Amino acid sequence: MKLLVCISKVPDTNAKIAFTNNQTEYDTAGVQYIMNPYDEWYALVRALELKEALGGSVTLVHVGTADSETIIRKGLAIGADDAVRIDADPKSALFVAQQIAELARNEHYDIIFLGKETIDYNGAEIGAMVAEYLDLPYISYANHLEVNGTVASVTREIEGGAEEVEVNLPFVVSAAKGMAEQRIPNMRGIMMAKTKPLKVLPPVPIEDKAVVVMYQTPPAKSSVKLVAPENMDELVRLLHEEAKVI
Amino acid sequence: MASRYISIRHLRFLLYEVFDALALRRFPAFEAYDQAAFDMTLDAAQQIGDTYLFPYYREMDRQKAVYQDGEVRVHHSIKTAMQVFGEGGWISATDTLEAGGQQMPLTLFNAALMIFYAANSNTPPHAFLTQGAARLLRSFASEELQSRFVPHMYSGRWQGTMALTEPQAGSSLSDILTTATPHPDGYYLIKGQKIFISGGDHNAVDNVVHLMLARIEGAPPGAKGISLFVVPKYRQEGDTMVFNDVTTAGIYGKMGQKGYVAAHLQIGEHDDCRGWLVGAPHKGLAYMFQMMNEARIGTGLMASATASGAYYAALEYARQRPQGRHPSNKDLSLPQVPIIEHADVRRMLLFQKSIIEGSFALLLQCSLYADLEKHAQGAEQRKAHLLLELLTPVAKSFPSEMSNLAVSAGMQCLGGAGYCDDFPLEQYYRDIRVNSIYEGTTTIHGIDLLGRKVMMENGEAAALFAQEISEAVQQAMPYPALQPLALALGNAAGQLQQATLHLFQLAAKEPAEVFLADATLYLEYFGYVAIAWQWLLMATAAQKALNEGAQHRDFYEGKILTAQYFMEYELPKTQGLHQRLTSDARITTRIQSPHFD
Repeated sequence: MKLLVCISKVPDTNAKIAFTNNQTEYDTAGVQYIMNPYDEWYALVRALELKEALGGSVTLVHVGTADSETIIRKGLAIGADDAVRIDADPKSALFVAQQIAELARNEHYDIIFLGKETIDYNGAEIGAMVAEYLDLPYISYANHLEVNGTVASVTREIEGGAEEVEVNLPFVVSAAKGMAEQRIPNMRGIMMAKTKPLKVLPPVPIEDKAVVVMYQTPPAKSSVKLVAPENMDELVRLLHEEAKVI
Repeated sequence: MASRYISIRHLRFLLYEVFDALALRRFPAFEAYDQAAFDMTLDAAQQIGDTYLFPYYREMDRQKAVYQDGEVRVHHSIKTAMQVFGEGGWISATDTLEAGGQQMPLTLFNAALMIFYAANSNTPPHAFLTQGAARLLRSFASEELQSRFVPHMYSGRWQGTMALTEPQAGSSLSDILTTATPHPDGYYLIKGQKIFISGGDHNAVDNVVHLMLARIEGAPPGAKGISLFVVPKYRQEGDTMVFNDVTTAGIYGKMGQKGYVAAHLQIGEHDDCRGWLVGAPHKGLAYMFQMMNEARIGTGLMASATASGAYYAALEYARQRPQGRHPSNKDLSLPQVPIIEHADVRRMLLFQKSIIEGSFALLLQCSLYADLEKHAQGAEQRKAHLLLELLTPVAKSFPSEMSNLAVSAGMQCLGGAGYCDDFPLEQYYRDIRVNSIYEGTTTIHGIDLLGRKVMMENGEAAALFAQEISEAVQQAMPYPALQPLALALGNAAGQLQQATLHLFQLAAKEPAEVFLADATLYLEYFGYVAIAWQWLLMATAAQKALNEGAQHRDFYEGKILTAQYFMEYELPKTQGLHQRLTSDARITTRIQSPHFD
């Protein structure tokens, strides 16, 4: 099987995010980055499991600048065979999707994996866009995937339950929790990662169709008010008039 | 349960900004260790800590190891962790590529070990004691013995131990009685008892391999007659594993580290325990010192890392727990403030931070010396060797002793809650205590430092230490904010030299009992100076980063404030030690047993 796993770079979950340039982008200074957990823990590991069971190869693709290579090397350390970096700032979901689609168009992957969303913008858009550009089926929020010959059985998370679907290869799938168990790279993998092929390609020129006008942070939480246990009327009044929850 | 147990940011600061550990790449063995490899190693260690160690730390204290029906049963997570450490290549990591390792610099490996031990001080020792035992075989055993044992130990399927202590011979290994009788088939029949054997028997592994000290029949008395044997619990005969007559008589009811067994072993009860000689006869103690010296650094790491877990638990509590108001504004209509707002709580947190981070720095400094001792040449190699020899007793004992106090301060931050098992501080307090006993008590290391190391090679090691401090002072002096710190360290180091001179003058005219009577206090004095040296190095690196406009200014300012704290609050304690060590009052040698009634 020929498998492609799309990986994103996202701020560490502990990173404090501030906005800059008139609130149109976040300040990257001092931010630690990690591989998007849905890409790493579920998409990549399930792809590796399929390769181990059925043979084939796992290629990583990442749209980003040279400082993303630590993220890519981690994916190679976990077990991917090779990687492609599209050398461009991943400025929008549309841009990233088109870059991935252009790479995949001529490579004929059996399955293209992504995480169900990235934990920075939570857009969950790229998978559908890649599928649309390649005219392939798209299964989102998958938490179980088996391949039998040229057909895959996929279970999706849906509100209140699950949906089971079958799909012919090739297709695009976004992976959710449950798809696989997180793998921690072993020392041999970490040291081998450097020797695995990493191809850097220029981006294809694409005109973006949307621009960010402004980011807004959530309103600051108000301070805690302590109400004495015997003062229930005051508690009810605060919940009704200030918190507006009753 | 607290959500953090260590600062990876601090480890990176030490590795990259204080010690320039990436410069180790100049040695061919470490060429592949670029920053990405360092970062990925730390990242993987943290993932292991988060997934396989930290979540079980409290649970394994409550579901402690038990000895039942002739079997030692330990927490189920230990078996999984041994597999993770084995299959992940952590147990073999520092060995050569040819031997299945990854040639990892000890400096990086020990940083990862800090993460593991901070996450859980009960589980990782199983794996890394095994590593020490395997490395001992790799250094001194025949190829045949290595191939029989080491791959199983590196895989995490077999436990390795150090089997030294006997009922009548604890710190005094010269008095061991376990015997080894040569057999015509090339092995020895071993007979005796070993006590306090950490990881000595348990059901998380398929076999236990003891690196055991014993006397060959007719061997000279004392340390010169001790040999090293490899003695497995099960030996291989053809395709089967046969019980090797190593019986567990019981496990100890320890105060802490209840997930990590200490076993009492009966060896050769049925005259059928086979051991194989490692290296040459009568060289056992010298060989064992390789493992013991590594284990001593490891004990310092475990102590300071355990204190790190306690510190982050205390810090989290101090930031969340509202209690009282500022002394300058006690208006009861105002909400209570988090206890971190109180200066004395901040003092206790600073004490912990200064001890833990200072100890981490000293231990990584020693790890760096260990890498240089192995890979550098000429004068650089000799310098690293001598400094490692000098500092090993300090790096083992000062972090172990002071981390006890650091965890105590952490408990104090929580008040009554810290004494109760709703919070982890009481477990940390019990678990950490053993470190000043493991691998030689503090007394032993005090005697080692003052009686051997300070004057080794005609005082060359001590002179090199003074030179290191002098260089640190010179590097700090261009920064006005650091000058008071540099002067404080320079003065304390000068005083330490004076006290050392006084003690050696004493040695020339008094019996050894007098010279060594306060060796533990001398080690404490030395430890304060060594940690202050490390804080000056850290403060200098932090000041450089701030001057270069680094992000995360709070992080770097915190380093400088903690360095100031150590110089202002902790280093002056050496004045009392100096007064004691230069006094002629011989109290501990004059007082006799009846006087204690």
